[in-house]
This record gives sequence, structure tokens and C-alpha cells, in this order.
Amino acid sequence: MAANPIVMSKQREEVVHGVPTEVVCTAFSNSILVVVTQYGKMGTIVYVDPRTVGDNVVRPSLTTKVLLGKDEPLVHVCAKNLVAFVSQEAGNKPVLLAMALKDKTMEGIQALREVIRSCQVW
Amino acid sequence: MEAAGGGGAAAAGGGGGIALHDFSGRLGEQRVHFHAMRLRDSLFLWVGAAPALATLAVAMCNPRDSIPVAASLLGDPSDTASACLAQRLASKTKKQIFVSYNLQNTDSSFTLLIENRIKEEMMAFPEKF
Repeated sequence: MAANPIVMSKQREEVVHGVPTEVVCTAFSNSILVVVTQYGKMGTIVYVDPRTVGDNVVRPSLTTKVLLGKDEPLVHVCAKNLVAFVSQEAGNKPVLLAMALKDKTMEGIQALREVIRSCQVW
Repeated sequence: MEAAGGGGAAAAGGGGGIALHDFSGRLGEQRVHFHAMRLRDSLFLWVGAAPALATLAVAMCNPRDSIPVAASLLGDPSDTASACLAQRLASKTKKQIFVSYNLQNTDSSFTLLIENRIKEEMMAFPEKF
């Protein structure tokens, strides 16, 4: 029997704007799991769901739901900024995002997005 | 029973960093796959026969009770399989445990087989958990 993993993961460690960062992306058939951590932990868990609201089928709006952790506006903004492209490129699959960030600046998020892109499993 | 390190797991090195670990087992009539991700003081564990993620629960020990506290985060909250497994693993490892249990069969005898398979792997590869 093959020992190949049933789900594909890609992992990367990088220093982003001076902060050591780890990213792991895992592709499930119905969703993508993205872990972005600067504390080594799961941190805040957000479910980013592209389910179409209304008739806008071309570009469905993303709903973000905090499953675990502080539910504040900045978390939703960061989550959307980090993984909206993942959901879109994966064919509008929901993304389960676990993020523990020290740097939540615009530049920081942008740089993290590129690290996530380098772990493309979708 | 076989095991395979996840993609890039070796890069993380021993101790620090996130470690990925995939393994599987034939339990009863079914081949069950496991995907473990070790983080700092915590563990994410996915269990399934097909590569879908439909549930998520978290459990962790607390000083006031011998039974770890658990919460269902994703999926049907009345389906307690993920939370129960997370609770049992939290109690064994004293870590914060995230479990995504994606099997139809939630009989206690079957989940015990699952749990034993996980514990067996934890014994064989303690650095991965």
C-alpha cells in the first residue's frame, strides 16, 4: 500500500518584516486549511466562506466567521485580505484560516499573502 | 500500518517549527487516514477516509476539572465525535488539541480503535506530536 498522504500540504518558514513566520497550507476536497503563525500556535481560527449572497455569481462575496478567538473587525479584515485569493483561486472553496500574527500592518499582511502564495496546494 | 512524513516536514527539524505527519491504518473494514500537524504546545489532527474536512473541535486541560474542556468549532454541534476524541487526546498529552473527525462510523468501539491507532503512532514518533 502506498504511504502517500491523502491530503497535500506545503509548508514554509520565512522571516517576514523581521518576524519569523510559519505558513502551512493543506488542501482538502471541500476546503483549504491555511495556518499563518508568528507565535507557533493556531491562534484565531476564522472560517472564510465564499457562498454567494444574492445574485453575484461572478464574484461571490466572502463571509468571515470567527470560530475561535477574538471576534473583532480587524480579524475579519486580516482574514479576508490574507486568504480571499486562496478561496477564489481554489474555485471558490471555503478557507479555514488559523492565524497568530504579531504584525497586522498592511505591509505585513501583503508580505504574508506572498508567503501563502508560495505554499500553493489548490 | 505505514507512515509518511508530510511535505516539507523534515525542513522544520526536531523540536521547533510546525511538523507535519501523515499516517494511516486499516481499522475494521476501512482504511483510515490521519494528518497531524504539531504546533507549539498544541496539535491539529485530521481523521478521515476521504480528503474532506467537515468538522472541527478543540479541547484543552483545565486546572479545575480532570476532564478537559471541549468545544465544537465547525460542523454539526450535535456530532460530538471530534470533541470527544479531542478531549481524550488532550487528557493524554496535556496539550491543546484540535480534531477534525470525518468518518461516518462514530461507534465507541470504533473510535477506540482510532484512538489506539493515534496513540500507537504517538509512541512510535513522539517528536511528530
